[in-house]
Amino acid sequence: MVNVVEVRNLAKSFGKRCVLKDINFSLRRGEMVGIVGENGSGKTTLLKTIVGLLSPSAGEIVVREKVGYCPQEMLVFETLTVHENFAYFAAAYGLRQGPGADGWHGRESFLLSRFSFAPYRDALVSNLSGGTRQKLNLSLAVLHEPGLLILDEPYSGFDWETYLHFWNYAAELKAAGACFLVVSHFIYDRSKFDTVYELREGVLQCA
Amino acid sequence: MRLSHIVAAWRMSVRELLRSRIAVILFFVIPTLFYAIILLTTTHKEIFFKLASVSEEMFIRVSQRQEALVFMGLAAVGLLTSFLALNLTQKHAPANRRLILCGYTTSELLSSKFLTLVGLIVGIGVYISLLLLLFFQPRRLPLVLLGFMLAGFVYGCYGLMVGAIFRRELEGILFIVLLANIDIGWLQNPIYYAEAQNKFIIRHLPAYFPSQVSMAAAFSDHSVLAPLGGSLVYGSLLLLAAGLVFGWRMRIKK
Repeated sequence: MVNVVEVRNLAKSFGKRCVLKDINFSLRRGEMVGIVGENGSGKTTLLKTIVGLLSPSAGEIVVREKVGYCPQEMLVFETLTVHENFAYFAAAYGLRQGPGADGWHGRESFLLSRFSFAPYRDALVSNLSGGTRQKLNLSLAVLHEPGLLILDEPYSGFDWETYLHFWNYAAELKAAGACFLVVSHFIYDRSKFDTVYELREGVLQCA
Repeated sequence: MRLSHIVAAWRMSVRELLRSRIAVILFFVIPTLFYAIILLTTTHKEIFFKLASVSEEMFIRVSQRQEALVFMGLAAVGLLTSFLALNLTQKHAPANRRLILCGYTTSELLSSKFLTLVGLIVGIGVYISLLLLLFFQPRRLPLVLLGFMLAGFVYGCYGLMVGAIFRRELEGILFIVLLANIDIGWLQNPIYYAEAQNKFIIRHLPAYFPSQVSMAAAFSDHSVLAPLGGSLVYGSLLLLAAGLVFGWRMRIKK
């Protein structure tokens, strides 16, 4: 089976400080990989390098699927409403308008309902709680139904119920063939992952 | 460049701007405050000055208040547009970068911001021209308005550039206030300019050409074509610089 992501001999340095050293791994369709590590171990740098926000200092990254990236920070527009944020990102993804199955309005309704924040559809993001903002942050990453989800601390700020909703949804996507690269300080339930790596002093090793 | 992307981003930019309380407050406060100070501190005493862009050795004789009204109108346009333009490129810069990751191009985002800026320039220019009309009738009002808009264009592009360069608001505001204060709020005043030395420096500051358009239009019948062209070139160069810095800031590796 063709790998969706291949990372070969990846290294990343900031000046003289080497954050990632000779990273190698791959992801196949329907696979879920977790990466854990202490604060400052380079987890976010690794994801940012894979999605293209940072340039690698050495090595090669091959991505063969549509990417959905959920950053650790809430990279949303605070002075727009939840709905307007959906509209903005739908335009970015080039999604069609309309309520049908192929229109982004349908996807918006589905995600609002799935993550239980439909009542906030017309609220300004600046007025939302941290957890609800994170729901939006995550929803924007999956709005275009990507085949590869790169999620940086995706459930931080979620209450327990939303955490469970997240994993149910992830399991459905995984069953449909999507693959996941999830970074977190803590991985509570390792059984949800096919592989868990630990990033320690810039080196990726099996946890 | 996809038109649908530009239109969507422009609509969102406008909404963000209209929801910014400080932007709306400044829009009304700055011109009102500037004109109130002029009315409180100037007289109708006649003053004489030479216009820098007019080669003839001809003195223009106008009331101190009228000269100050045009000059402060320019200052208000420059300060307002540069501040609001700063917001366009600086605010939500990381979220804009996420949009680029999701499919936007830098040029589409910048075009939408420039379109928003054009709307601002027209709105602010017309508003301040109408305020000016309450106090006196310039000789060629449409060209005075054009001068205001050119000041908005040059300073707006400067604001876009400063917003793209600095990540923090305070530094951006400092650079805007500093230049606006020295240039459009001081050195370009024809009364100061007439007696200044090293005029070469003043002639190369951003507000020189637009202020010459408005001043010449308000108080003379001289052609404003040369300063009009100069303003467009100056503003375009600043826009180009803003585009380059914005593109560099927003770059992603595809």
